[in-house]
Amino acid sequence: MTNERFLRQSFLGESGQEVIGRCLVGLVGLGGGGGHIALQLAHVGFMNYVTYDADFAEDSNLNRLVIAIEADVAAGTPKVEAAKRRILGVRGAAHVETYRCRWQERPEPLRACDLVFGCVDSFAERRELEACCRRYLIPYIDIGMDLHQAGDEPPVMGGQVILSMPNGPCMFCLGYLTEEKLGREAARYGAAGGRPQVVWPNGVLASTAVGVAVDLLTDWSRSLRGPVYLAYRGNDGTVVPHPRLVHFRGGACPHYPPDQVGDPLFKRL
Amino acid sequence: MNVRLRLTRQLYDQVRRDLLRPHPFAAERVGFLFARLGNVGTAAPLVCFTAYRPLADERYIDDPHSGARIDSQAIRAAMQQVIDRGEGAFHMHMHAWPGKPHFSPMDRNELPRLIPSFQAVGPGCAHGLLLLSHDACAAEVWLPGSKRSVEAARISVVGFPMQLIPGGET
Ligand SMILES: [Zn+2]
Repeated sequence: MTNERFLRQSFLGESGQEVIGRCLVGLVGLGGGGGHIALQLAHVGFMNYVTYDADFAEDSNLNRLVIAIEADVAAGTPKVEAAKRRILGVRGAAHVETYRCRWQERPEPLRACDLVFGCVDSFAERRELEACCRRYLIPYIDIGMDLHQAGDEPPVMGGQVILSMPNGPCMFCLGYLTEEKLGREAARYGAAGGRPQVVWPNGVLASTAVGVAVDLLTDWSRSLRGPVYLAYRGNDGTVVPHPRLVHFRGGACPHYPPDQVGDPLFKRL
Repeated sequence: MNVRLRLTRQLYDQVRRDLLRPHPFAAERVGFLFARLGNVGTAAPLVCFTAYRPLADERYIDDPHSGARIDSQAIRAAMQQVIDRGEGAFHMHMHAWPGKPHFSPMDRNELPRLIPSFQAVGPGCAHGLLLLSHDACAAEVWLPGSKRSVEAARISVVGFPMQLIPGGET
């Protein structure tokens, strides 16, 4: 790999670029959001990946799945393989582990990651991912978009980028996850149908998440010193700190105590 | 085998603050970190540190041949922590300069003798020796039931900013 390649991002510093190259990054979900992230990480210089997605590229994905082309739909390419191909196209020497399954079926490689991106569909999936990352001391970056429509009003497009740091406020502390939301989601399980997903908010959210990750690893801005909860509003094209984070005054996270790390211990009775 | 060590930024800063304090006569300070294991039984075990216990000034023995010799009471206290916490113990000290640190011949000779004591009271835990410099580390880890140590690949400081401190990895 030539240094020429990173000439235009030399402000990250030699050690910053080196840390990026050393970081083992986990990607859970390689759809509209995760595909964008994979591609950008490859360009930034990430070299070590653990990827999970059980799905194959389908025609209905092509409105947003930047890692796939029509031939992948015809061939039924697994999304993890489409992502791997794109990463290796940019970084031929990268190590990409692909798991065409839910991460819960092969959790060990995920636990080994230094940083995990979650690009999953449900609140329940997010809760499980964050819990795993807390247990194994891994920073977790969550992205997602949604579209809400009430009556005759135009739809409201929203999204979030959250950085959940072990020992800091979790997604429950920040009010993004609530028992009520999880309960409502569980109640409508199976009846939800496909939520709206489009390429441009995915791109904004993925870019923002990659920016957070690069800053976290290189400290180039020297200003990222606490949790991130950014709210995206597609209708006016803004990404702003979420009011819940701005007004967050909580202390230690009560949901993930600091001694509950490592493999769970089973006490003998 | 690719052993990774992890601790939060808060814990790492606490350790550094303590170990960099001058001692009345000892050249280096020593402390004990306690840890739980993750990914047990895989080729990529994780050592997640949970707490740090500094040593009181009186626990050091004045020995001109050693940078930091500690007394048996300090070791017994660490063993008690292994029992009370159900966690492994890591002896740690620091070299206050940059670059890859190396255990001194005396460290290599004497410090591993602690491990059987820790293993006796915490047989299901990983124990070890950890030496930090400003930007690198050297760490030997004894996995449960093992008489031989493995060198840790790296230690990650988890917080703002992240630090991936290289150990045995190249
Ligand atoms: Zn919490």
